[in-house]
Amino acid sequence: MRRDGRLPNYWKIILILLPFAAALIALGIGRMQIAPGEVLDVLRTRLTGGSFTDMAVEKTVMQLRLPRIILAALVGAGLSVSGCAFQSLFANPLATPDTLGVASGASFGAALGILMGFDLVGVQFVGMIMGGAAVTLTWLAGSGKDRGGLSYIVLSGIMIGSLFSALVSLIKYVADEESQLPAITYWLMGGLDKASFRTLSFGAPVIIAGIVMFFLIRWRMNLLPLSDDEAKASGVNIRALRAATVVAATVITASCVSMCGQVGWVGLLIPHMCRMLFGNNHLSIIPASVSLGAVFMIAVDTVARSISAAEIPVSILTAIIGAPFFIMLMRRSGGWRI
Amino acid sequence: MNLRVEKGTFAYKGGPKILDDINFEVRSGEILAILGPNGAGKTTLLRCMMDMLRWNNGRSLLDGEDIHSMPARKLWSRMAYVPQAKSAASSFTAFQTVLLGRSSRIGTFSQPGPEDMEAAEHVMNMLGIMDLADKPCHAISGGELQMVLIARAMAAEPEILVLDEPESNLDFKNQLIVLDTISELASKGVACIFNTHYPAHALQRAGKSLILAKGGHCSFGSTSSVVTEENIRSAFGVNAIIGEIETPENILRNVVPLSIAEPREADNTEDRQCIASITIISGTNEPADRINNLLHEYNYMLIGRMGLPYRKHGLYIINISVDGMRSEIEELSHRLGLILGISAKTTYAKGEGTWSK
Repeated sequence: MRRDGRLPNYWKIILILLPFAAALIALGIGRMQIAPGEVLDVLRTRLTGGSFTDMAVEKTVMQLRLPRIILAALVGAGLSVSGCAFQSLFANPLATPDTLGVASGASFGAALGILMGFDLVGVQFVGMIMGGAAVTLTWLAGSGKDRGGLSYIVLSGIMIGSLFSALVSLIKYVADEESQLPAITYWLMGGLDKASFRTLSFGAPVIIAGIVMFFLIRWRMNLLPLSDDEAKASGVNIRALRAATVVAATVITASCVSMCGQVGWVGLLIPHMCRMLFGNNHLSIIPASVSLGAVFMIAVDTVARSISAAEIPVSILTAIIGAPFFIMLMRRSGGWRI
Repeated sequence: MNLRVEKGTFAYKGGPKILDDINFEVRSGEILAILGPNGAGKTTLLRCMMDMLRWNNGRSLLDGEDIHSMPARKLWSRMAYVPQAKSAASSFTAFQTVLLGRSSRIGTFSQPGPEDMEAAEHVMNMLGIMDLADKPCHAISGGELQMVLIARAMAAEPEILVLDEPESNLDFKNQLIVLDTISELASKGVACIFNTHYPAHALQRAGKSLILAKGGHCSFGSTSSVVTEENIRSAFGVNAIIGEIETPENILRNVVPLSIAEPREADNTEDRQCIASITIISGTNEPADRINNLLHEYNYMLIGRMGLPYRKHGLYIINISVDGMRSEIEELSHRLGLILGISAKTTYAKGEGTWSK
């Protein structure tokens, strides 16, 4: 570990290569096994404008697996980096991307979209709008207090989150039992099976913009855990920094949830893993969260779609893998601090 | 550089006045101690002074410019704040914590560059804490953390350093380390303002003091005129004596609390004309200017002055005779005693003499 908190060069190389390696392997795994060399061939012919000889292989790689793996990488990276930002912002190791109620809001929006019979992009759009609305409500309800502002905001996040959960239940209650209720329930469990380049073209730019934002202000983010007075005394506009953090994390999470439902644990597990590996300096844990979050999500989704004939909802897998792994990390490292 | 607070008044919304008509001024190289009983509003005073809380009335001026209308980045590259160590546990390493002090000089989308690293290393070396650089801040002692926080503040290369109870919760040795650091920074021209529970620390370190009483009024002035038995009784409600302890080098003043005071009328101790002789021994050239400036200020009561370089041991011995009001002589000798690297003692004549008039 370097003294100034930057990643050592060999870690930089590993963290850049790892997601691509994971994606390459994942592209070959599934009902139809494809060797990495063949996957590369498909990608190369596609990039050079030609068409691959085996149409079935090309369709599997390019239309089924590639968008899904891109989505997994973006969701993993986005949720990890948002979780990391919220843990620092609230100086609380248990903060997750959902702390301000964005996931509940986005879930409500998506459920509403399904109830109204919208198509996938419509569902995605309503989900994002409602996610943003939930955080706005949380912010309005919790801010404006002179002291302890951030703890009021966390409290109102919990309130707004449960309000929107109740609204989701209400929608499930009025939904048609034959078609809509199973769709909503399955959607809420989270899964990346709806991935396509069409949904990605709408959701991905938002996630990428959020991640780039965090990446650019990563050193500044070291000021987030400081107390109010210390933060003010740093001479930095701390309100703007906090607002930028909340906005970036909100758009990322709302976009993720509106594309693939609630995927828990990533935003908690990966940032803590990075903190244990690299310390608390955002110069290293922001890039590390992006990279390892992407790798984790690609791996989990690959297992989810290939372990059995029927697909397992990804949030069930993240919890099954996440909980014991998290406990093991915690016990081995003797806890952590923000 | 000077920092001035004019007619500062503050009350929390709907509450009683906590600070009422606060006036004081600090210049480069001066140390101001802020004293007051628990709950008198010492921290609130600092926060208002730095515009973390808004004065209801009055203002803080830095070189004549209202702090409230200064851009944060400009203000905080001239002023730095050291919070109480207990409220500032950090999960970074000591070095990374110190580096955070450079924030006001680093752009939003930038990272610390070589000159920031050098500044952080320079400050840590200056304060003698470079060996802590790679330790996480939650794994070092309270005294060490306080020094790291001072280093973080100094990394911004400020002209004014504001410290909130820097030596509370520390043991004797660490108190001395922190207080020596403050004296040393002041001798390099940094204005230091610190809150303290210990009147003795004000007497031993600060040229100026401000005592805050409950109800928000304050008395401000040179330490020897402000930290008096009378003021301690009225602000703290404690009968105390200010004693002098003679060490081989200096006469140190100390405050010994005796008993809880009954409210009673003030009795004015009379100030009178005195003749005294002050002996100063200086080991280095550095304080010479400061001594000369100080003596120049009190020129009107000097009746004799003799300087004697003693080259064999590299010492300079100065004898001054003064004729003035006792309070002023006390003030002069107190301020001499605050200069680092010199020994100074004052001897008072016993009334009028009969020797060959």
